[in-house]
This record gives sequence, C-alpha cells and structure tokens, in this order.
Amino acid sequence: MLKMHNIRKSYRTDTIETHALRDFSLQVNEGEFVSVTGPSGSGKTTFLNIAGLLETPTGGQYLLDGEDVSSLNDRDRSRLRNEKIGFIFQGFNLIPDLNLFDNIDVPLRYRGFNAKERKKRIEKVLEQVGLSARAKHLPAQLSGGQQQRVAIARALAGEPRFLLADEPTGNLDSLMARQVMELLEFINEWGTTIVMVTHDPDLARRAHRNIQIVDGQVSDLQHGTIGAAREIA
Amino acid sequence: MIGYYISLAMRSLRGTPILSTLMIAAIAVGVGACMTVLTLNYMMSQNALAHKDDVLYAVQLDGWDPNEAADTPNELPWQLTYQDATALLRSDIPTRQVAMHRFGFTVTLDESEMRPFTAEARITTADFFGLFDVPFLFGGTWDAAADLSPVQQVVLSKATNDKVFGGEISVGKTINLNGEPFTVVGIIDHWDPSPKVYDLNNSPFAESEEIYIPFGLHRKFEIFSWGNTNGWSHSNEEGYEGFLQGESVWIQYWVELDSAAQKEKYEEFLTGHIRQQKEQGRFQRPLKFALSKPSEWLVLNEVLRDDNRVLGWLSLAFLLVCVVNAVALLLAKFLRKAPEAGVRRALGASRNAIFIQHLIESSCIGVLGGLLGILLSLLGLGGVRQLAMGKIDQIASMDWLMVLAAIGLAVLASLLAGLYPAWRISRTNPSIYLKTQ
Repeated sequence: MLKMHNIRKSYRTDTIETHALRDFSLQVNEGEFVSVTGPSGSGKTTFLNIAGLLETPTGGQYLLDGEDVSSLNDRDRSRLRNEKIGFIFQGFNLIPDLNLFDNIDVPLRYRGFNAKERKKRIEKVLEQVGLSARAKHLPAQLSGGQQQRVAIARALAGEPRFLLADEPTGNLDSLMARQVMELLEFINEWGTTIVMVTHDPDLARRAHRNIQIVDGQVSDLQHGTIGAAREIA
Repeated sequence: MIGYYISLAMRSLRGTPILSTLMIAAIAVGVGACMTVLTLNYMMSQNALAHKDDVLYAVQLDGWDPNEAADTPNELPWQLTYQDATALLRSDIPTRQVAMHRFGFTVTLDESEMRPFTAEARITTADFFGLFDVPFLFGGTWDAAADLSPVQQVVLSKATNDKVFGGEISVGKTINLNGEPFTVVGIIDHWDPSPKVYDLNNSPFAESEEIYIPFGLHRKFEIFSWGNTNGWSHSNEEGYEGFLQGESVWIQYWVELDSAAQKEKYEEFLTGHIRQQKEQGRFQRPLKFALSKPSEWLVLNEVLRDDNRVLGWLSLAFLLVCVVNAVALLLAKFLRKAPEAGVRRALGASRNAIFIQHLIESSCIGVLGGLLGILLSLLGLGGVRQLAMGKIDQIASMDWLMVLAAIGLAVLASLLAGLYPAWRISRTNPSIYLKTQ
C-alpha cells in the first residue's frame, strides 16, 4: 500500500539546513491502522505530508500502491491525492464559508463526478457520521466533535483507500475524542488503511501498530494484531 | 468546473464586501476614465466612407502662391478654385464627381404660418448623393444639367421635410430659399456621417446639411462659401465674377474612380489640366496634385489629433495605476484565503486548479468593474457633451463595440491584476496552512 525507502526531507534557509526526515523507511500494508507517535519536531507531520503527496521528498523512493510517486508532476500527484488519499486534520480544516454539504462536495468536484453522483455520496457519508440533518449548516454552527465528523465524512466521500489523520482528536474533549476514534476504527474495519499521527498513547495503543519517529527516523516498531513484522532499512 | 469557480468567486466577493468593492471600484475608475477617452478617439477616427475607401478620392491641386507652399501637411490647398472645379467637372473619366461647398439659405413657405428659419445648405453637383451613398426616402436628385446651369431645385433632409412639410411626401412642392421658389425633387433619409469625411474644412463633427442645392446656381444667386475661403492673390476682375475667376480656393472636390486604370487616366487628365493652366500663367509651382482616399483624407486633416492620442496613452497609464492597486488588493485578499487554498490542495486540487479558480475570481471582479466602468464612461461622455455644448454629441457616445471593448478591457485588466496573486497562492505550500488553521 505505502512503501517509503530511505526518504529524506530537508528544509534549507540561507544559513541553516534542517533535516526533517533522514533515511526514513516504512511500509504500511493494505487494511492496517498505524499510529505514529514521537516528540514535537520529530518529523511526524513531514512524514504525513510526504505520504499525502503534499510535499515531495528531497531524496529516496516512495511507492504508493506500487507506483513510484516521487517523480510525479503536480497534476498527477493531485489526482492521486484526490482519488486514493483522505485527510483528517487536528483543526478540522473545514471551509468556513461553505455549509457541510458544500464542504464535502469539494473533493468530489475535483474528482469530476456529476451532480447526481456527488449528491448521492454526500448524503451517504453524512448519514454515516450522523449529520444528515445538518447538511445546510455552516461549520461554525457545529461543535468540535461534529466538525471533525464532517471532516471525516469529507475524507471518506471519495472512498479513498488510504486515510491520513494528523492528531484528529487533538482539539476534542475525551468523550468526543472517543467517538471520533470509534468512527475511525469502524472505517478501518471496512477496509480503509489508516495512518494516524497522535500524541495520545492510549489512542496509539488502539492502532494495530505503532511507529515512533525520533529525529526524523523510525526508532521503534510495535506489532499490532494484524500483519507480520515490516522491514526497516 | 468553470461554473463552480464562478459560484466560488461570487461567494468570495460577498464574503469580503468592502475589499471587493474597493477592487471593483479600482477597475471601474480605470476603465471608466480610459473608455471615456478611447471612445472619443475611436469615434473621431471612424471612417463613414470605409466601404468605398478604394474608389473615392478627394482632389487637391497645387495652384497656390509660387513663393510659398500652402500651409497643409502635404503642402496642397485643401480646396479648389471655382474655375478649376468647373474645368474638372467637364471630365467624363470619373464614374461620379462632386464639386461642392457649404452655404445657408433662409427658408420660407408661401401661404404658411411657418416661421422663416436659416437652413444649412450644401451647394453641390448631382453626383453627391450617389458618390456618398446618401439614401433617398422620396424622389431623387436633380438632373445633371443643373450642375452647370441655374435650375431651382432642392433636395431636403428628412428633418427639414418634417419641419417644413410635417413629414409629407413633398416632392413637387415649392419652398422659398432667400425669397426664390425652389421645387423639391427629393427627400433624403437620416444621414449624418461622423466625422463628416466629405467636408473636413468646417467642423468635422458638425451635423449634415438641411438642404441641398444644384451647383449651377452660383452666378444667379452670387453664392459664396459658408466655410473656409482661402486665397493668395487678387483677381483682375471686379465683383462676383472676379471672385469666381480668382485664385480663392473654396470648392471641395471628390471623384469616384472604380479601377486602377480609371485612376491612372484621371491622373493624366489632372496633369494635362495643370499643364494647360501653366501655359495660361497659372499654377506656377511645380506640378503637383493629390488624390486621397477617405481614410487618408481623415489622417491628412488630423481629425484625430496628436493630443487626443497622447490623452489616450495617458488614460491607459491611469488604468495601469488602477490595475497595480487592484494587484495589491487582490494579493491581500487571496493571501488571506491561503488556508482555504491549502485545504483544497489537500483535497485534490492541483496548482493549476487553484490558479484558475483565483483567476476566474479576478475576472468576475473585472466584469463587475467593467459594468460599473461603462456607467462611469457614460457619465464622463455626458460631461464631455455638456462641455462641448452639443457640438460633438455624435462622437461623445458609446456604441456596442465600445461597450464590449470596455468589458473586455476590464476583464483583461483584472486578469493582469490577478495573474500574480493567483500564481502566488497556487504556489504556496499547503502543509503550512493545514497545520496552523
């Protein structure tokens, strides 16, 4: 599903070069729920951005579904991102001017679905997250937990095979965090591969496997309930 | 996707009403000022005889002062002497030919309570109507014989016919011009070329004449010109006949030559005429004449003056200043929306998609700015009309082409203004905003 080999990512200013990821290698198999932990500044988000094709690595090889995406142009990367990857963010990142229906509509527009197909998918995912009655509400009219459910619905509407969550419960109270986590587990059970960055050790433990990143490198692996040991370079 | 982008643009504009209004106003003011000047220039540079540009020629002969060239761009007098005009009229080479000038008559009507009024008149040969494609409502022109003999016939403009005869078919009726009876032989439809290519000696933007009189009536009524009469020597003969036979230039002359061969033949004829005049002691300057097409005639007469052109460039510079302001405002607006662009990128929008989305938003601002700019242009042109006290009403008005040009200019200006901000936002790293939103 996802295979990174010796990925490097560095940011350069006039005087300083920062290595966010160094010889980072990782494999995530289809259907896995992987949690990623590590101290602040360790490179978790950089890994997630590269995995989500939002950033390009400085070096190394990244295979997504067997396709080398390291050298793809922006249009192809955007198409892959739209078709195969769903994002969930700590800050929800809903577009404030758009109601829930239109927010979920955004990735489907870029996918090129017709109006009928888009409507069908939007209604379906809104029902899955229990917000069908709120379709015409603006994000600001919802609680944090509800907004994160909308963000999950938006990520799921395109039926991605790969869901990337960056601290999805970071802005939620414990009750709502639990509900969101249960929703993610439910989604994973239906076959969507999930990689979740979190600071919460309890949530990390609920994943099949936990990866710890320290100083831009994978420092530890804990095997979960599925899958065999993965090769780490 | 275009429809989607337009709906996003309109939503975005509504979301920031003050900033959007400022941007629309910046474009509108620039377009308004620019289109006011460009419309005036455009209307001034119109060629009402463009459809006959290849066959019509204004005739100039150099019979001017041997010691000093005529003070015109091509150093040829604008007009001809009466004696040259009548000599040229005898040629049968042109398909049509017109000798003419401006005059005026007092119009009265027998047994009528109509108040006498002064009518602008054109003293001309019969070919005038055919050569300049003047449309007739009723009747037609006088016989060609009236070009050289005194025949008291008249062609009325539609407005004059409406004024004198209440719009009736007045062909065959009589009106009095300077107390003399004239028979109406034709009524022309509304015809008001602007600029008045056929007579640029007087105001190029004056209205067409109200009545048209045969050229053969000069001696009978001792008709002078109501336009420019220029001369460089005194006539040996006294009185009106002396004026007619003198060197004063006051007759405008046009010919219609349908082929290159016909033109060549006519040039030979003009050369022969000048040589003949030289033998008689006239035309002491080097042999020179000119046949100018209507388009060349407009340029030669500097209808669109250099200061108008400079004003046009200045107005474009002003538009550029407005565009630069719009760039700054758009940049501020778009960068404020960078987090949203980041989210869209994460959800599958390519850089190009973000670029096009924002460029379409700029275009929407341009269209709205263009529409407002048209209103400002109309206000500006209204102001120009007021200042000119009705003298340039025809040119100080927008036609559909200029309306479309205004919108096109506004969209172009806004696209230019939006290029950099749209490019900037499409190139920003989305991950920065996704984490910090």
